[in-house]
Amino acid sequence: MADVITRLDPTSRAAARGFSDMTIRNLFIIPTIVFLIVFNVFPLIYSLWTAFTDYRASTAAAANFVGLANFRELLSDPDIWRNFTITAKYVVITVTGQVIVGFGLAMLLNRKIPLKGLITTLLLLPMMLSPAVVGLFWKLLYDPSFGIINYFLGLGKFEWLAQPQMALWAVALVDIWMWSPFVMLLSLAGLSAVPKHLYEAAEIDRAGPFYTFFRITLPLVAPILMIAIIFRTMEAFKTFDHAYILSTQPTTELIAIRLYKMAFLEWQTGMSSAFAYIVLIVVVAITNIYVKYLNKAKAR
Amino acid sequence: MARIELRNIQKFFGAVQVLKDVNLTIEDGEFVVMLGQSGCGKTTTLRAIAGLETVSTGTISIDGREVQDLRAADRDIAFVFQSFSLYPHMTVQENIAFPLRAVGMSQSSRDAAVKEVAKVLEIERFLHRKPSALSGGDMQRVAIGRALVRRPKALLMDEPIGALDAKLREQMRAEIKRLHISRNSTSVYVTHDQIEAMSLADRIVVMHAGLLQQVGTPEEVYNRPANLFVAQFVGSPVMNVAEVAPQSDGLSFGSGAVLPVAPGLVSHLPAERALRLGIRPEAVVLSESGAAGLLESRISNIEPLGSHEIVDVVLGSTTLRARTEPGRLRTGAPVWVGIDTERAHFFDADSGMALRRIA
Repeated sequence: MADVITRLDPTSRAAARGFSDMTIRNLFIIPTIVFLIVFNVFPLIYSLWTAFTDYRASTAAAANFVGLANFRELLSDPDIWRNFTITAKYVVITVTGQVIVGFGLAMLLNRKIPLKGLITTLLLLPMMLSPAVVGLFWKLLYDPSFGIINYFLGLGKFEWLAQPQMALWAVALVDIWMWSPFVMLLSLAGLSAVPKHLYEAAEIDRAGPFYTFFRITLPLVAPILMIAIIFRTMEAFKTFDHAYILSTQPTTELIAIRLYKMAFLEWQTGMSSAFAYIVLIVVVAITNIYVKYLNKAKAR
Repeated sequence: MARIELRNIQKFFGAVQVLKDVNLTIEDGEFVVMLGQSGCGKTTTLRAIAGLETVSTGTISIDGREVQDLRAADRDIAFVFQSFSLYPHMTVQENIAFPLRAVGMSQSSRDAAVKEVAKVLEIERFLHRKPSALSGGDMQRVAIGRALVRRPKALLMDEPIGALDAKLREQMRAEIKRLHISRNSTSVYVTHDQIEAMSLADRIVVMHAGLLQQVGTPEEVYNRPANLFVAQFVGSPVMNVAEVAPQSDGLSFGSGAVLPVAPGLVSHLPAERALRLGIRPEAVVLSESGAAGLLESRISNIEPLGSHEIVDVVLGSTTLRARTEPGRLRTGAPVWVGIDTERAHFFDADSGMALRRIA
């Protein structure tokens, strides 16, 4: 085959190899860049501009530059701080839950068990579903009158989503159910990358199971586990779909829900843009902390 | 230190039997090398002693106590892996201290033990480095240090220097021998390298196809091989093995080539059985002129190796390889060939077993 190609003239040679560099540029790279500019870069810059205005997308009135007024107002609004507190609590509950459940499942799957492939696939199903669909059927499961959860737990007509204290935990449980498989998948990759001979060496060195877990397994899986935590933290901060569908309690009003209401129910476009930027800065800051830990873990 | 006994050990991996009735006693303080090709069962035997592999049948005793059902951790043995198996996220100090920390030894005792081992192995200056910053030889020193630090009953080594380059291997071989002598630890060492086996072992265990072929001192294994496998596996260049037929006037090598040997040698050989002569290259005698007991031949090839040459001479339908001093002979030149009958071995062609030496 290589011989045939070298005997052809340059144009035919390019055709025989596949697309030329120019064709690849025109077919794939330019549309991607255009798409990115139209749907990502432009909204990002435009929303940064609107964050400094009193723009309302529902009116024809021109936007007036208001400087940092939106940011000042938001940061001095106790309700916004309440939203942040709820979200922080939600992030801690969900990410912790997902790491415990996901890593635990990965530990169980990282051994010789029958039907391992099938079990792994079944466990991955939740994260493949649409969050809106997940929200809808968990709403049915939680239903105080005919929900199967109350039926199995014998809790009568317990109001999972209407009780202010319980609602956030109920919403978080759905997130844990949905995204633990993601942590499990990454942990499984990390666990299977730990060389078997290190466990043999630890056994020879008379290390017990707990000592081996904390001194060998965990440090070696930590970098990949940290990546899973970064992804899940960023995602948890942005949680909207299933939380919005499941509960209307003020105690479950995550920042994404508050942002949605501000932008599309109250039509405070300028204010909501400023809010979105505050959220962005917070997420980037938290991610940075994690990345620092990740680099430290990698260096170890 | 400990005495290790293996009795009737068999091991199956599914339908494949990898160990076939292995019986072996390793004396206290002895250095035993298990030698064989890949897949012969030597590593499986070593791992079975360590407890990293279960045995299908048979018993393993360490100091009279049966351990075949105990976990590796409960056998009080140390193991040096071919892949070093250092904990990559720990420093050299932490690696060596790991077996002590795992059993809850205090920090001060740990530090003292690590320091002592590090001094013996000359790795003190690396103690705060990670394994990834070390050379292969130093990594293996650390692995040996981790094995020795807790003074185990026995030290098991699975091709510990197999991954190192030739020069480093030679150096590490000497260090391992030195350590063994100074600590007098019972050591079992697995290798496929016969030079390692010869230079390190008090006794060599030659294995093939899951069976012990011969257990003996390096001198015994080299000079009195129990069978054709051992004869050809031990020694470099390998022992010449030729199909011969004893005749009244000597040994026939086929195609009319009859090497005259003392009548006493051939008269004791069983005439009715197919035989193989085994003769090491250094026991093949070459002469530029004819004499009694020599047969005229020609040189087909010469391999110059610096300190000596390996000369191929054609004898009937066989080629014998001889070891001579360099520059003495030329390819194509006539040469007279004989054998040192004192060092000739005869094997039964069918069973491969050595025939008892004639007086």
